[in-house]
Amino acid sequence: MIIPVRCFTCGKLIGDKWEEFARRVKTGEEPGGVLDSLGIKRYCCRRMLLSHVEVIDDLLRFYEEAEKRKQAGNRYYY
Amino acid sequence: MEKNDRNTRLIIRGTDAPFMNALRRTVLAGVPCMAIDEVVIIENSSVLRDEIIAHRLGLIPLKTDLDGYNLPEECPCKSEFGCNLCRVSLALDAEAKEGTRTVYSGELISENPDIVPVSDKIPIVKLVKEQKLKLEAYARLGKGKKHAKWQPVSMCTYKYFPQIKIDDKRCDACGKCVEICPRKVLVKDGNGIEVRDLMACTLCQDCVDVCPQNPPAIDVSWDENAFIFNLESTGALPPKRTMTEAIKILDKQLKEFGRQIKVKKSAKS
Ligand code: SF4
Ligand code: SF4
Ligand SMILES: [Zn+2]
Ligand SMILES: [Zn+2]
Repeated sequence: MIIPVRCFTCGKLIGDKWEEFARRVKTGEEPGGVLDSLGIKRYCCRRMLLSHVEVIDDLLRFYEEAEKRKQAGNRYYY
Repeated sequence: MEKNDRNTRLIIRGTDAPFMNALRRTVLAGVPCMAIDEVVIIENSSVLRDEIIAHRLGLIPLKTDLDGYNLPEECPCKSEFGCNLCRVSLALDAEAKEGTRTVYSGELISENPDIVPVSDKIPIVKLVKEQKLKLEAYARLGKGKKHAKWQPVSMCTYKYFPQIKIDDKRCDACGKCVEICPRKVLVKDGNGIEVRDLMACTLCQDCVDVCPQNPPAIDVSWDENAFIFNLESTGALPPKRTMTEAIKILDKQLKEFGRQIKVKKSAKS
């Protein structure tokens, strides 16, 4: 859903590194190198970021759409 | 050996494995630190449920002031709710006015400016326009044995200090051991093998198994009384403070243990 605050296995804080990771990978950087430069060494923490899908963004789209329709005065907004 | 504000690596000599393990377990389960323990949700219209948000808040590591606060069970107030000496309240009031946005840990307003999240950039939830999140959270000291959120470290390990011996007379510098070593401990140097990074050795013995000489020209063993101790803090407490605190707690527990044994002995005789 949303990036977990800590690594499930070891408890290292990883939530604050997700946005930078996602941004840099999107610009075409090699994920392994990005993880190294963020100081994420263990594979338990590395998989947290590598395998994460931010599903909340897809979910929020429905709410944004509903909000738009509400604004447009469409009474079938939900 | 290596030290910064988060990680510490030490060589500890003249001790044994049981002591190292006791120290490790005390660091993990016995050293208190701050974490959010109770959350009062005033308003939540976000897509995440109250419980999920409370859980996320609990996992946020907070900078801890060990001297200024008491453990709730040891506090003179004896109240379930807590007092100024055993509890810190943090408030969060976030609303998405303009459009979709992320609520970060930096928006938590603490009543004590020293007890704040270690990072301001931890996402708590994402809000769409018109959604609101308003809550009050209470942080308390606690120990890792009750919940992992109270662990001051995200890693605490020890391993034997490696010893690598290469018999130059029998080694023909074939380089097989250099190739197989997963940690790149060994390098070829002219017609011999050199140890480049002894600390990285995991004692896996792959280099010994692969050596074509019989008996192998390389020997990997370890010092029974020296250890490499590795500690990675979550940021709640500096590594040095974590260590001194762990030693203090261990010392207290051992003294208490010794006292109880003495009492038992005298009761028998
Ligand atoms: S024991 Fe393993 S890690 Fe150590 S030097 Fe040999 S191959 Fe490398
Ligand atoms: S594998 Fe054995 S013989 Fe070959 S270089 Fe290593 S120690 Fe020497
Ligand atoms: Zn991890
Ligand atoms: Zn109190």
